[in-house]
Amino acid sequence: MTTVGLEQVWRECAPDVLAALVRGYGDFDAAEDAMQEALLAAARQWPTDGLPENPKGWLITVASRRLVDQWRSEQARAGREQLVARRTPAEELLAPAADVAAVGERDDSLTLLLLCCHPALTRPSQVALTLRAVAGLSTGQIARAFLVPEATMAQRISRAKSRLQQVGARFGVPAAEQMSDRVVAAAHVLYLVFTEGHASTTGAGLYDVLLADEAIRLTRRLQECLPQSGEVAGLLSLMLLTDARRAARVRRDGSLVPLAEQDRTLWDQPRIREGVCLVERALPTGPVGPFQLQAAIAAVHAEASRAEDTDWAQIEALYRMLLDLAPSPVITLNHAVAVAMVDGPTAGLDRLGPLLQDPQMRRHHRLHAVRGHLLEMDGRAEEARASFAIAAGLATSIPEQRYLNMKAAPRDPVRPAVPIPEHSRDQGPAQS
Amino acid sequence: MKYVILIHANPDPWGHPTSIYSEEGRALPPEQHEEMDRQFEALLTEISASGEFVTAEALADPVSATLYGWTARGHLATEGPYAEAKEHLAGFFIIDCASRERAEEIAAQFAQPGGVVELRPVMWPGGDDQ
Repeated sequence: MTTVGLEQVWRECAPDVLAALVRGYGDFDAAEDAMQEALLAAARQWPTDGLPENPKGWLITVASRRLVDQWRSEQARAGREQLVARRTPAEELLAPAADVAAVGERDDSLTLLLLCCHPALTRPSQVALTLRAVAGLSTGQIARAFLVPEATMAQRISRAKSRLQQVGARFGVPAAEQMSDRVVAAAHVLYLVFTEGHASTTGAGLYDVLLADEAIRLTRRLQECLPQSGEVAGLLSLMLLTDARRAARVRRDGSLVPLAEQDRTLWDQPRIREGVCLVERALPTGPVGPFQLQAAIAAVHAEASRAEDTDWAQIEALYRMLLDLAPSPVITLNHAVAVAMVDGPTAGLDRLGPLLQDPQMRRHHRLHAVRGHLLEMDGRAEEARASFAIAAGLATSIPEQRYLNMKAAPRDPVRPAVPIPEHSRDQGPAQS
Repeated sequence: MKYVILIHANPDPWGHPTSIYSEEGRALPPEQHEEMDRQFEALLTEISASGEFVTAEALADPVSATLYGWTARGHLATEGPYAEAKEHLAGFFIIDCASRERAEEIAAQFAQPGGVVELRPVMWPGGDDQ
């Protein structure tokens, strides 16, 4: 069997194998080491002996044996006989029947995700641990995707694991009263993975894993576990609807195409249909949450075959609901855009006033970029350019800064004069 | 979001930590230096444990620098230091934080006698389409 085939099987099995081991033995670190050893054994044996009938069961059995061997030798040293006696035998970790197994495994991988999103961990640590343990990515892959040195990522993951041990986090379904908070935390972690992936698609060719794809895969799993959760359905829908634009959002020279200027024939229609269907089913069923509303907004955009057909009145209403539910300066900014599209640029500009006084927001490039666009709509070209110049100075995204510099330049050329060579994209500042 | 914390300092003689080689630093009693060291160690432990610390380097004396200018006929090398500035780049930290506010909170704690600490966002190749 090929290395690629092996990796695919491995990626499919890893979270369930790890979940079963952590459930049975409690120790995250030791379970992961044992899992790595089982993979090495698989890499040696499967190509010659062929793929076992039940690869997951095979991996769990081999990894469990390693764990038990390890504890036996530790126990021999320390004389702690009772330790191994309390451990679950490997057979018990294997699900008995296929139909029962499906449910048990799904619960295990959900529990593992919730453990990785434990409140004792910071967001970056939750993200790293989730990608390592639940998505089964290698430390190197995660490090490259986040443009940090591999040693940094390795340390972040190992500190996260020891932090879990420190606070005595157990593998188990959280108590009912914590459950919804933990699911929300997990949803935020997955959304962060997605936005990181989606926003960096200009450099996608560089990465061996697309974070956006990983986030969608994990959110699908989460949704299978929690089909009744409107917010999880909303999150999956939001990801699908945003990701549907992937082919249209970057030009061949690497520059970004704003939503209004995208070639909508490049949008992925099956993804859009799936996303729209998910959010339409979720909205009427229960309490409406921020992810469902954002998905609904993305759905309205997706349903317009031309930018000028966009139903801005509906988007404005949805942003108003979102502002009631989860007020934030960024939502106010997005709402202002919708107001401008419905009632004209002056109405939108009025909404930006308070944001320009906000100490955090006024250093955010998007506020000034939006203001520039609204001033432009209003025919105030000079002021618009001044706003775009402020936005360019505050931008930290290289393609966005290039776009804003172009908008700030006098007599507004349509495209940048110098095309951006392909290779300039890999000069990510933190890669050195 | 990644940020770089640049430590500009004028230690004389050049040395690390720059705070003990600066005029302002020398004026402080040893107990205060010990206290500052403790606080700094605690900060480093905190940002390592949280996964926010990415990397850091201390730089050698600016006189050890070689400077390369560009001319149409090729590069032109001269011996350092780079500029006749009062302060030089003495070292840097790269941190990865959830927000600008958090980066500011961390960077503020790098302030030290005899220098200026500069926080700058790191540019990245991605971007959003809205």
